[in-house]
Amino acid sequence: MPSEAQEMIEHILQLLGKPAAKIDENTPLISSGLIDSMALVDLLVKLEELTHRRIPPGKVQPKDMDTVAKMFETAERVGKPRG
Amino acid sequence: MLEFANLVAALEAAPQNAEFVTFWVDEDERETVTFGEFRQRSSIQAGGLQEQGVSPGDRVVIIMPQAITAMTAFAATMMLRAVPAFLAYPNFKIDPAKYRSGLMGVTANLGAKAVVIDEDFPEEMLACIALGPDTKLIRAGNDLSTRLGIRVPVEGSDAIDPKSLAFIQHSAGTTGLQKGVALTHAAVLRQIGHLAEVLRIGSRDRIYSWLPLYHDMGLIACFMLPMLCHVPVVMQSSIDWVMQPQSLLQVISKTKCTVGWMPNFAFQFVPRRTPQKRWAHYDLSSLRLMINCSEPVRASSMNEFQNAFGIRQGVLQSSYAMAENVFAVTQSDIDAAGPRTVWVDAQPFRSAHRVVPLAQDTAGALSFTSSGRLLANQQIRIMRHSGEGARPDSVGEIAIRSDCLFKGYYNRPDLTAQAFADGWYRTGDLGFLLEGELYVVGRKKDLLIVGGENIYPQDIEEIVGTHTSIHDGRVIALGVYNPDLGTQDIVVVAEVERAELLNDTAELEQQIRSSVVAGLGFAVKSIILKPPKWIVKSTAGKAARSATKEKLMQEHPEFAGES
Repeated sequence: MPSEAQEMIEHILQLLGKPAAKIDENTPLISSGLIDSMALVDLLVKLEELTHRRIPPGKVQPKDMDTVAKMFETAERVGKPRG
Repeated sequence: MLEFANLVAALEAAPQNAEFVTFWVDEDERETVTFGEFRQRSSIQAGGLQEQGVSPGDRVVIIMPQAITAMTAFAATMMLRAVPAFLAYPNFKIDPAKYRSGLMGVTANLGAKAVVIDEDFPEEMLACIALGPDTKLIRAGNDLSTRLGIRVPVEGSDAIDPKSLAFIQHSAGTTGLQKGVALTHAAVLRQIGHLAEVLRIGSRDRIYSWLPLYHDMGLIACFMLPMLCHVPVVMQSSIDWVMQPQSLLQVISKTKCTVGWMPNFAFQFVPRRTPQKRWAHYDLSSLRLMINCSEPVRASSMNEFQNAFGIRQGVLQSSYAMAENVFAVTQSDIDAAGPRTVWVDAQPFRSAHRVVPLAQDTAGALSFTSSGRLLANQQIRIMRHSGEGARPDSVGEIAIRSDCLFKGYYNRPDLTAQAFADGWYRTGDLGFLLEGELYVVGRKKDLLIVGGENIYPQDIEEIVGTHTSIHDGRVIALGVYNPDLGTQDIVVVAEVERAELLNDTAELEQQIRSSVVAGLGFAVKSIILKPPKWIVKSTAGKAARSATKEKLMQEHPEFAGES
């Protein structure tokens, strides 16, 4: 697993306040109720930081952020290089 | 006062070239339509709907993402003298079967002629749509624009009786879906007339909104008000906003909006989710009113917003509103520095529901922030549980009477009868009046308000109770105030069938979490599993909510925040 994905997983565990929970790149986060929509903003900020890309609002739907793998795919697809 | 005969006449009277709706996606992606263009698109859709068999009086359900097309479809339906109702768009989290059964219930209760969905309605979500034999599915894109550019003649607005139904508003959740608030053209016009007067809406105003159109703030304050007052509105989708709360600052800075509404939590969500180094980056000086509405008003949340972005005194205000009254009942004085806060003695308040004001910042006192004074032609009565009027200095149920009050829930005389007492609408909210101002101290019994959305705990309890490891009927969903978010968190307390199930709860918790999300589309914050017989029962043998909540607070002080 790339180190960025690992860092994202650690960030999510911290956000959940459950360091011992088991999450991998393909664990559903939003559709499983682990994370609510108000936490999405934190994930997006972290994703922008890890990918060095700007992710424009309106180009991302919550379903594009449901797993760590999908987050990085989304950043690749809609992210713009940070100007 | 607005002089129009009905809502369509008000739209027709708007200046052709004046800016109406701007839909903001991003700095380099936004669309603006003038009133003329909006009317043209609406009448093309009206022609399409007519061709599909929609006639005067028919009910039409609109399920579309926040977009100009959704708004024109709504106007188009009214142009045909038919009655539109917006419903929430299915989100990807929800189980299609659950959404489908909710939708079936609504369309059956409304006897809907048509359900209009957008062109890009996700294929996988089509399973969400189930229709009765008399309801037709219409795609806004293909079915309504086939004659693009050809205006199908629609009867003029003269034919619309102001006393006829204009539209139907639903409160959220499957339980709330049974309550379609039916509103007439005249009631909506009177409400907007009162609201525009007290807020002094004028030609220099531009409304800002991230509020969904199926919510009264989004529909009435941010769609009907600009449509009837002929002022522009800039909107973004609530999903875009919640994912990037900073975008609110960007939109207002760039488009110089002057007036907006949002629930309490947003006043602290925006500053807390915007890096502090960016606070000064934005210019909100165009803003003359940002009104805190639909959740209990907290002065601390408003102070955070004000201090972060250098908002002038008097811009942040408050209001008490509900779909049953079209929208606002009260509004704080826009000439004052902000809504008043009072401090009251905690002891008589808790023991006898009496309000004894104390000096500002008295230690140990409870503080409440005002929702303001009554709009024109509104009356409030504070009622005791028995239904009699309460003493003026006491807390009781807020009942209202007004010239814009709804006549009933569509096709539900039973629910309507329960809601009224002697012509007064019993809101179920608790509050008190002090020096002519309304202070709301508690929301509708049992109702949870999370991020401004109404959630009925019964919907959650029903889902959790169906799990085989949980004792059916022994589940309670509670709202616990989360000071970091400025809104409530949902906490579920449930009894397991057998005490040994408590040995390993991680998997059970996750199953419950998933089933609530799949059923209702929102996440539960905490799940607390308890052994059999833990939940306090009422004498009737039902789970007693408030007693259970007290017990929970005692055993788990971490939930003992205000709620």
